[in-house]
Amino acid sequence: MESANLLLRRIVRSSVLPFAAQHGMKKYLFPFSRTLSLSLCLKQDKLCEPSEKLDLDEWKKVMKSGLQEEVSEKASEPKDLSSLAAARETLEMWRLAGRAVPENISEEQLKAFMECPSKSAKKKYLKYLHLKELHKKNDKRKMDEKRERRLEAQDQASKTDETKKSPFVCLWSSTMDKAYNWRAAQSMIFGQPLVFDMSYEKEMSAREVTNTVRQIVLSESCNRRSVDPFHIHFCNFKDDSLYHREFIKNYREAWDKLLITVTDQCYTEIFPKDKLIYLTADSPKVMKTFDHNKIYIIGSMVDKSIKTGVSLARAKRLGLETAALPLEKYLLWSTGAKNLTLDQMMHILLTLKDTADWKKALEFVPKRKYCGFVNKPVKELKKTLDLINTLKLGKRQEEVENQFAKNYPKKYKRN
Amino acid sequence: VQPPEKPLQAEEWNKLREDFQFPEIFEEVMLNAMIRCNSPIDVAKSLLTHLAKRNGDIPYNVLVKYLTLCVQQGQVSEICDVYDIMKGRFKILESGAYSLLIKGLSNSNQWKMALTLLEEVKKIMSPSRKCYESCIKAASRHQEMKLAFELYNEMLAKELVPTLDLLQSFFDISRGTKGAELQKELFGILLYLRENQIYPHKTFMRSIKLWFESLPGRKWRGRLTHIKDSGQCPVCSHQLEDSNLTEEEYSHLSERILRDVIHGTDTFRKTSPKELEAFQTFVENRLPFDIVIDGLNVSHIKSRKMQCENLFDAVNCLAKENARLLVLGRKHMLVNSSNWKREIMKEMQNKAEFFFAENISEDDAFLLYATLRSGKHCRFVTRDFLRDHKACLPDSLTRHLFRKWQRGHQISSSVFSQQPAFRYDCVVQTTGDTWHIPYKDVFEEKYSYQVPRKWLCIQQK
Repeated sequence: MESANLLLRRIVRSSVLPFAAQHGMKKYLFPFSRTLSLSLCLKQDKLCEPSEKLDLDEWKKVMKSGLQEEVSEKASEPKDLSSLAAARETLEMWRLAGRAVPENISEEQLKAFMECPSKSAKKKYLKYLHLKELHKKNDKRKMDEKRERRLEAQDQASKTDETKKSPFVCLWSSTMDKAYNWRAAQSMIFGQPLVFDMSYEKEMSAREVTNTVRQIVLSESCNRRSVDPFHIHFCNFKDDSLYHREFIKNYREAWDKLLITVTDQCYTEIFPKDKLIYLTADSPKVMKTFDHNKIYIIGSMVDKSIKTGVSLARAKRLGLETAALPLEKYLLWSTGAKNLTLDQMMHILLTLKDTADWKKALEFVPKRKYCGFVNKPVKELKKTLDLINTLKLGKRQEEVENQFAKNYPKKYKRN
Repeated sequence: VQPPEKPLQAEEWNKLREDFQFPEIFEEVMLNAMIRCNSPIDVAKSLLTHLAKRNGDIPYNVLVKYLTLCVQQGQVSEICDVYDIMKGRFKILESGAYSLLIKGLSNSNQWKMALTLLEEVKKIMSPSRKCYESCIKAASRHQEMKLAFELYNEMLAKELVPTLDLLQSFFDISRGTKGAELQKELFGILLYLRENQIYPHKTFMRSIKLWFESLPGRKWRGRLTHIKDSGQCPVCSHQLEDSNLTEEEYSHLSERILRDVIHGTDTFRKTSPKELEAFQTFVENRLPFDIVIDGLNVSHIKSRKMQCENLFDAVNCLAKENARLLVLGRKHMLVNSSNWKREIMKEMQNKAEFFFAENISEDDAFLLYATLRSGKHCRFVTRDFLRDHKACLPDSLTRHLFRKWQRGHQISSSVFSQQPAFRYDCVVQTTGDTWHIPYKDVFEEKYSYQVPRKWLCIQQK
């Protein structure tokens, strides 16, 4: 896709083409006629005749010949651009230089770009927009292909036979929705509460808030689809906050029809304190079993800059009990932070609630973060870990020990 | 791909292009290869000519690649030509092309054009430090020192950090030249090194030495030396600045530690207000201490020993000098376990004051507070580099103060031979008729906690 700007330039430049073609033709003709008569000379290839010698600077002529027209065109334009237009122009040049820059950029995005505090922030933002654009384009292409295939299939179907008969009216999705909503409504009366603490807006950047809300939307939908949903509470929720605006962007009209409780009150005002458990990866306490009489709190926060202890501090301040998932007890952890996304937490809690099976629940931890499940006691697990570490370090471990023996010969022998 | 050695005809290029896997990016890949192999410029020209004739246009990125090749080979007239073409073809250029042009032109007799280009860049974005440095070097090479320093100061004002290479070139170029103004600027560079705790490397140090010795009239003499632990220079027997902070710096630092490291955004993150208050009253009632020990850190010195034994050794070792000790720990140390024997803990508590924080609190922050509160003579023992606490401080000035204070007050050693804290401050310093400049042996940056041990002593006779 060419932007209109470029297209215009192409058209202007097209007047150059015949000129280039003329020159090109001449060049094509010459060697051709010579192959017959002077094939020997050509094989040596080095000594070309002056007439045949390449005009190395010809490209300059071609480039400059296109100029004349553009110069006159440029003169009519206002000389100094507004800062926004200048930024747009710079972006266009970066794109031409082959940097990761989006093709189209809205006024709003351009302003956000200019407000980025540093060069690297700008670069990052552009890359993000660029990737977003690529994904969008790919999705659109796939949709188009799909539509085409469907149309083709329909064509063939209409040619061959009439519609099949079935005892049910085909109303799948809306019927399912009704059933789900029925369940969610039930949970609002009888269900176990689950609290999302919405008090982290100050701790996050705009991007992180967007990601948070996206994750909560996913969690809400998987809760709605579950057999026995939680009664979801959004506590400390301020109207017209960033969270609120993002939710409306995601849900649109459905936001007011959601079967959840949204309140600006704190969870401590709604529920008795001794029933609350704040889930945080920083907690020193490890969750052993899922308690159906407790109310679990999840902090609605995406933390890309590793602010440790933020949610633990919240719980400490209010004097609440805290708990962390027993990730180390059941999983051989390999890489990655122990904090999970909100939808993963939701999946885990729902599974625990239904089955009380840790192994099944922790299937939802991303596979890249752990090597495998361990059902053995912790001591044996540690042994395995040590073994893995020595295997990983391999020779280096031996070297270290040798070095140690050299430095402290006596003590080493004694031990 | 392997670039050809001689200019090719159009059909030869066509053939190469058709054989290539992705014909759309053929020119780009080929030019990249040419840049890598530093091919003759004529080959690139023939490719451009072929491209221009085929399409009637040459895309911007290909032009930039060609420009890179020209700059690499210092083809000044070509660079000018490409610039003319680009300027005619595009309304503005992007930063990559500008910095290439500036780099290319600043090395030629067209260097004034690089300056105008720099002005052009300023209109649309803030130029990179590379652009500034090319222009500054060009100006100083042509003896326009005033202009060079104007640009240099402008660059500093934009918070760009100059490379040591640039600073060195200033000293190299002004060797043997007169002018009070110029001297003042160069002394200014030395003070810049001092303020930012930058250490020159060996060759840079030599340039400084030679410059000093070349100064006419005043007879400077430079010699390389090691400074004694006492802080006295063996050459001129001058006592170096001591590592203590001034009163003002000291109170600024302690205030910052309390506000940014311990409280931070939320006091509950590292401790709790109740615990902090308890700790503060505990410290106030027992002031001042001579040495504050990070109990948990010290207890891990030797992995083959019981943790409380390690701590016991440390306390015994330090208690000999009749010093007042404070050991910071966590409550779990009080619970009798395989690593923490109650009897040993009891015995230790007779020799030193102990404060036990909650198990989820951070004791390092308390360590800093107690040491700072006790006064300038107080030191602390930990092997921790305290980098995470330094990172909590808001600005580089405070971080430098912290580093300086840490160098002077931290005792860290693995087997308790007590590596002494530095008594003198390791930084570029002057008394007017002497200069002392620490330098690194190699160019590579040392760890930020390490300081150079070698010095250049410059003295006026």
